[in-house]
Formats: sequence, C-alpha cells, structure tokens
Amino acid sequence: MPFISQTQRQSDYNLIPASCPIVIDNGASYFRIGWAGESEPRIIFRNIVQRPRHKITGETVTIVGDHDPALLKYFDCTRSGPRSAFDNDVVFQFEIMEYILDFAFDRLGADESPINHPILITECACNPVQSRSKMAELLFETYGVPSIAFGVDAAFSYKYNQKLGICDRDGLAICSGFSTSHVIPFINGEPVYEACCRTNVGGYHVTDYLKQLLSLKYPHHMARLTWEKVEDLKMEHCYITLDYASEVRLFQKGGKEAEEKTRCWQLPWTPTPVEEPPSEEEIARKAALREKHGQRLREMAEAKRSSKINELENELKGLEFLIQQLRHVNGNDIPSFLAETGYISKQEIESAIVKVTQSLRKAKGEQDEIEEKQDPSATEKYTLIDIPDNMLTPEQIKEKKRQLFLKTTSEGRQRAKQKRFEEELERERRNKEDEQRRLENPELYMEQLRIKYNDLSEKVEQRKRQKTNGNNHGNENNNVSGGVGRGERLNAAQKERMRLLTTAAFDRGKGEDTFGIKDEDWQLYKKMSKDNDDEDEGPNEDEAELTRVASRLREIDPTFFPKSEASSSGSEPPRFRPLTQEDFQILIGVERFRCPEILFHPNLIGIEQAGLDEMAGVSMQRLKSRAQRLDLEEEVIGITNSVLITGGSCLYPGMSERLEAGIRMMRPCGTPIRILKASDAVLDTWRGAASFASTMHFSRQVFNKMDYYEKGEDWLRQYQLKYTF
Amino acid sequence: MEQEVIESEMVLPTHLSFKKIQMYEKYPKGQARGRHWKHLKQIIQAENYQNYPADEPNYVNIESPPSMHPRKQICDITGFEGPYSDPRTHLRYANTEVFKVIRSLPNEYVQRYLALRNAAVVLK
Repeated sequence: MPFISQTQRQSDYNLIPASCPIVIDNGASYFRIGWAGESEPRIIFRNIVQRPRHKITGETVTIVGDHDPALLKYFDCTRSGPRSAFDNDVVFQFEIMEYILDFAFDRLGADESPINHPILITECACNPVQSRSKMAELLFETYGVPSIAFGVDAAFSYKYNQKLGICDRDGLAICSGFSTSHVIPFINGEPVYEACCRTNVGGYHVTDYLKQLLSLKYPHHMARLTWEKVEDLKMEHCYITLDYASEVRLFQKGGKEAEEKTRCWQLPWTPTPVEEPPSEEEIARKAALREKHGQRLREMAEAKRSSKINELENELKGLEFLIQQLRHVNGNDIPSFLAETGYISKQEIESAIVKVTQSLRKAKGEQDEIEEKQDPSATEKYTLIDIPDNMLTPEQIKEKKRQLFLKTTSEGRQRAKQKRFEEELERERRNKEDEQRRLENPELYMEQLRIKYNDLSEKVEQRKRQKTNGNNHGNENNNVSGGVGRGERLNAAQKERMRLLTTAAFDRGKGEDTFGIKDEDWQLYKKMSKDNDDEDEGPNEDEAELTRVASRLREIDPTFFPKSEASSSGSEPPRFRPLTQEDFQILIGVERFRCPEILFHPNLIGIEQAGLDEMAGVSMQRLKSRAQRLDLEEEVIGITNSVLITGGSCLYPGMSERLEAGIRMMRPCGTPIRILKASDAVLDTWRGAASFASTMHFSRQVFNKMDYYEKGEDWLRQYQLKYTF
Repeated sequence: MEQEVIESEMVLPTHLSFKKIQMYEKYPKGQARGRHWKHLKQIIQAENYQNYPADEPNYVNIESPPSMHPRKQICDITGFEGPYSDPRTHLRYANTEVFKVIRSLPNEYVQRYLALRNAAVVLK
C-alpha cells in the first residue's frame, strides 16, 4: 500500500541544525513533511481536518489527519465531516491549512521557539498568486519561518527520476494526482509551463465514481461503502484496459473470463436461524386444544338452546292452561278474567300460542313446514274466493279478502320457486354444453373463456370507474351526497341529480307553475331521490357472468388468477425472503476498469476535457507552437522517448500500455515512445524536493519575509524555482 | 477526555509554543467573522488573468481543451457500450434488459445516475 500514515512524534527536532530546510509535499490527498537530505518523510497523514464535538465535555476539538476510527466514537462527527484546505489543487482555506501545519510541526517535534528552518513547500503548476502569497504570509507571520521556496510537485518527481537515471533531460511528466492531472514537458531539464496542460480529473473522481456506482448498485449496503473502504477497493482492484470496448464486450457476453475478472467482496453475514417446522406432538396438542375450545362452545350453545326451549315450552303450557281455564269461564266474566292476564281477547291468546309454537319449532330445529302443510288444504282454505261478494255477509267479505291475499302470496311464492327451479335447469344445461365444448377442443375453449373474462372484467371495471368517476372516494360520495365538498368530483348520477335540483329551484317564480299537470312530472322526485344512485340493484348481469366465468376458469386453468386478486397482491410488499450470503456480496466487475477509464475519457463524468493520452498530444502541440513563436530549434519529436508517469492515480495496472497506445496513435509512425514508471509514484515528489533542498543551489532560490513585503505581488507571481544547476 | 484519546494525541492542542500567533488569538471565540476565504472561482476572477499576455502560463490557460476524440457513449447502468438513449429519462442504455431496468427506476435514482455524468436536472 502506497498510502500509509505515520504520525509518531519525532524527538530529534532540536538536534537538527537551523540551516537544514524542512521539506513539505502539500498534496491534495496526503501531507508529507520531513528533513532535507533524508530519503523518507518523517510525518505522513491525510490532508484533512475534522472539527467534531467531544461527546462528554461538549467542546469542539480539532482532529487533523486520519486516526484510528475506533477512537472517533468519543466524538460527535455528525455535524462536521472531514474538510480539506483544497479547492481543486489550489489551497484556498488557510484556517484549515493552519491546523494542518500546526499538527505537522508539532509532530515533527517543534517546541519553544518559532520554526527556525527554511521551508520548501510544493504547490500546483501555475498556482494563483493569491494562494501563494497567503501561504507565504501564514508561514512568515504565524510560524516565524526565516525563508520559503515554492516548487511544483510533478517537477520534483521528474527531476528525482532523472537523477535516478530513469528519464532523460527532455521528456514529458504525466502526473495524475488526487484532484487534477498534469502533463508537463521538460526541455533541458526545466519544466515548460507554457506547454503544460491540466485536466481536472484525478483519484478523487475515480473513487467518487466507484462509490456512487456501487451504492446505486447496492442501495442496501450504502452505509458500508465508506470513502475509505471504496478507496481501498479502488487501489486493490481497479485496472486500466487497453481497449475499453472489447473488455466490456467480454463482460456483456458473460463468459468464464468475465467471471474470473469479477471480484467479490463478502460483507459479514450470519445466516438467520431456520425456523423448525412444529413437531407432530405440537400439532396434535394444538388440535386437541382447538377441539376442546370448540366442544365448550358447542356445549354452551346447546345449553342456551335448551334453556330457550324450556322457556318457550313453559310459556306455551301457561297459555294453553289459560285457554282451558277460559273455557270454564262464563262469557260475561271473560273481560274481567282476562284483565288479570294482560290479554284482551281469546284470539290474541290463540295467536300468541301460534307464535310461541312457531318459535319453539325453530328453536328445536324443525323444518318450517307450515307452507307445505297448507298446500294440500289450499283449495279447501280458499273456499270463499269463488263466491261473488253480494252473496256474502260483511264478515265473510272480510274473510274472503284475507283468503285472496293469502292465495296471491302463496301463488307468488310458488312462481318464484318454479322460476328458481327453471334457472337451475338452465344453468345445468349450460354447464353441460360448456363441458361438451371443452371436451371437443380444450385449448380453444380456454382461450375463448379467457377472452370473455377479460372483456367482462374490462366492462365491469369501466362501469365502476364511471360510477366513481375516477374518484377514490366514490363510496363516501355515494353515502353522503350532501357532503360533496368544493372541488370534489361528482359521479354521473350525482351530477344529474344536481342538475335536476338546480333547474327545479330556478324554475320557481318563472311565470306560471305548470308542475304536476303531466304525470311524468312526478317522475322527477324519483329521479332526484338519493337511492337513484345505486341504480343497479345487487350485482348486475355482467358482474354475475364475470363471477361465473372466473369460477369456471379457476376450475380448469391452474394458471388463472382473478384480476382483482392479482392487482391487490401487486401492491403488497414483496414477500419476505430469507437473506442469503449472495445478498451480502458486493460484486465489482465492469466497475474495475470503468472507473479509472474516466482518466482517459473525462466526459464519462461530465468533464469536457481531454484525457491523459490526448493531454500528452495537446502538450506537444503547445510545445511546438511555442518553439515556432520563440524561433527555437527544439527537438519536440524525441520528447516521447521519455514519458514519466507519476502520481497516485498512475499506479493502476495497465496504465503504461494504455498511454503508449494512446500516444502512438497521435505520433508519426516510427516515433520512439518509452513510457517510464516513476520509482515510487507517490513519494518521489517529496524525495525529489528533499534532495533538491539539500543542495547549495536551494539557498539561492528561497525568499525571506523582507523580500516578500518589499518586492510585491508581481514579483511573487513571476517567482519560479530553477530545478537544474 | 478519555485516556486512550489523550494517549493517541489525536486532538490538536489549542496552544502551541512554536507559533507566534495562536489560533485563538487570530480567530477569537464567540466572534462572528463571516466567511474570510475565497473559493477557487473567486480567486481566479480576482487574479485578472485577462490583463496578462496570453502566452504567459497561468492557472486558467494551462487547462486542457475539450477532447477531440469521438465521445464515448456508455450505458449509465452497466457500463457496456450504450448506443441508445431513453427519451423519457435521458439515460443511456445497452439493451432491452437494461431498458426495462431504467424504466422501473424511481426518479431519484435516475437523477443520481444522470448526476454521475453531470447531466442531472439541477433546479436553482
């Protein structure tokens, strides 16, 4: 791993002579500080600051760099995430920069006196003078630094590798960092900034892209995909392909090769304990329990029934006794006798007896056989019907009317029964026909049935829609028609009623009132009445037919699902499925090379700039036009013979091959192209700076506080380090 | 403070003897100071680069020009080659299966996918 923090406090600060410069590589992702002439930086940490609140004391503290995440549990970090002093690759937040420098000098071992060492600090190419001067001001005023020098990170790295003999005096440095990528050409060992170019894509974008893609792919594991974890995944698994299109086709086909290239990150997962099905005993026990409950309920019902029967029988006995007693009583005494019992006449007692007997029968569960019994005697009963009225006494006429009424009702009942019976027959017949058709051609039959079902359900649905008029509160409206508020839609029937009511109301007082002359006028009241809303009494024909077809389909088609059920089950949440190990896997396939691809095609993340390979071409183009302008005889073609790749984002496997292919496409045939990897893409900048600061050459290029205040901003803008000596 | 926090020295001390001006002197507590830094955009604007000769390198003119290569169109969901574009969501997709997926995506996810390539609808 190239990125490892080391923040142990150094103890030898006071032993280092004051002339020894402090070298700082102020990168957008990592901050490295150490002593000139040494081969390794002393302190390395992530260039971030957090200002969380301590949970117990409540005070805001400053935490610089990355620390053991376990210790952060004592702090409330919800309101302040890690912050960086960088906007792109330019330092803009000097309060944060100060915290970082505080921490860095503190860990380097500084104490008591101000920092009494010259400082060499890196910056981006063509750093805006505002940022440069603020940095100088901070170092001079707050830390008391005697002198400062600014240098460009990529240049230090190139010079260091040149010293190691890896690259030539003339060449290209391709430096892909955390937030930006630079291509800087070198002529005679000096960077040519006129010809350099920068694209605002770097390791930050790759990690962010990977993080977003994975959290969109696995929304359930979003919390696990922390920045640090994704950064690790990126460094471990991402690579650059020679040809994106062919590589991605490999994955699209999904062969064995793609499978081998897919990486899997298994999240911690413990299988949920499988629920054992209840044992036989358990089932038996439960059944017994249920049976017991049922028995008790049945007993209770039985007891209740018998007590009721008892009661009724007693009542009946009482009434019969009363009647018998009544027989012994004289006609005149009857009223006085009855006054005590609460009945008015003998008839009333008799009717009471009939009622009680009927309910007794019902209670005993006997069939209500009165009708049937009546049937044979019907003709005898209606004796008076055929006799003309004028031959009867008034009492007989009354009796005749009663008989007439009884007869018509019983006949009506008979007719209904007959009709029911006929319907039954009809249904039977239809079923038989259906069955026959089904046997003749089962598939056609099923198809027809399905079509019919669909048609019918459509029809019924439409009716429903019409009735509610697409309003979900249709039921409410039907019930409380008065409660139709403003803006609420009325269904068709309600609208019609409203119209009638309003016309009726406004007709008043308009000339002559002719209402009621025609019979149809009175129909108006019927139309207005609320009950008119549910115009279809009970289920209408279509609905009945629909249920019939549905039940038939259910019988013969195992795949059939009634629509209403299907739709209702669709809105239900998906059924609970036990989570498996696969649900806790994060697969990284195409993402492995899709994410670093943005370095070559920044438009994939919406940045409309040239990618790394094209940048090299742009840089050479700029170099050529500069040579023409200045009338220089510089060898531009040979520059590709030494292309150094450096910076953290150049560590992907396949980087040099891809760059070589990309540059070869732009250069004339036969151009020598050598892509060289930096000896250590991450630390070379600091090492180069440290070795530069240890030379005599360095002390001539620093500036002190006096220079800073006297020479002014313009001078600071022009200030440039000379890397060769 | 807990013992292990103190031992790790992760919290930056408020007073550092090597500093000429302490943090609390520079930014006294409880004093509203507003924003006292400029963003990169403002810094660039204040630099007035247009007043300097064009051939002099500065932060703005060293930026790469737009790419001359043909635009790479990839499927927003899978990363495969994406020759098609959904007119409703404006997402690019590779095949019919992905199309089904994008049509079933909630709008929030569509916007997040679009935001990946800076094409999301931003309401200001």
